[in-house]
Amino acid sequence: MLILTRKLGERITIGDNIVITLLEIAGSQVKLGIEAPKGISIHRQEIYERIRQQNLRASEVTASDLSEADSLLRTSG
Amino acid sequence: MRGYETLKVDTTRFGAITIDEQKIITMPFGMLGFPDEKRYVIVQHKKNSPFFWYQSVDDPALAFVITSPFFFAPDYSVPLDDAINQMSWDEEKIEDTVKLYVVVNIPNGSPDKMTANLIGPILVNTETFQAVQMVVTDSPYSHRFPLLKDH
Repeated sequence: MLILTRKLGERITIGDNIVITLLEIAGSQVKLGIEAPKGISIHRQEIYERIRQQNLRASEVTASDLSEADSLLRTSG
Repeated sequence: MRGYETLKVDTTRFGAITIDEQKIITMPFGMLGFPDEKRYVIVQHKKNSPFFWYQSVDDPALAFVITSPFFFAPDYSVPLDDAINQMSWDEEKIEDTVKLYVVVNIPNGSPDKMTANLIGPILVNTETFQAVQMVVTDSPYSHRFPLLKDH
């Protein structure tokens, strides 16, 4: 991992068109500004990871479990 | 005369299906965790079922169960701006052209414990046949919303 030290207001550029600015430091919180082209997805890692994990699990659902879930849902009204 | 093209996919879960190529949905970024699979079709589980398979066109073994969030969360609402930007969609047409689905997880052998992921909805543009899985931040929604009460 590349580790850089930055001061408030300083920037980091990644490639030709991604710029990260250190906007604010308050206690243990750091506010970052990120400029990137359209089409580059930027997410908070923990939420991204939660969805990724759910997707991995959801990709293992079987047809028989779905059939049963479907009738369960219908009978529960 | 050139008819419309069809494609046959021998799905792992529900056998061979014939797909009208015009109905293939393209996800430029794939599903989270599956960046390489970019083409899907939506196939209803059964007539009148709220569930659909979101089947990969290129990987017969890859499919997700999806449903409309409005069946069980009628007030479901998430900001679409990020997705619209990311996909360069026409913002004025969004209300009419975009459909929302959520991914359903059914734990193996425990269908009563099925949940829906309300923070990673799939946005399908029915005009361009493109889709994107959103990452919803700062929302009150759960990634494991139970679909049956009392579970």
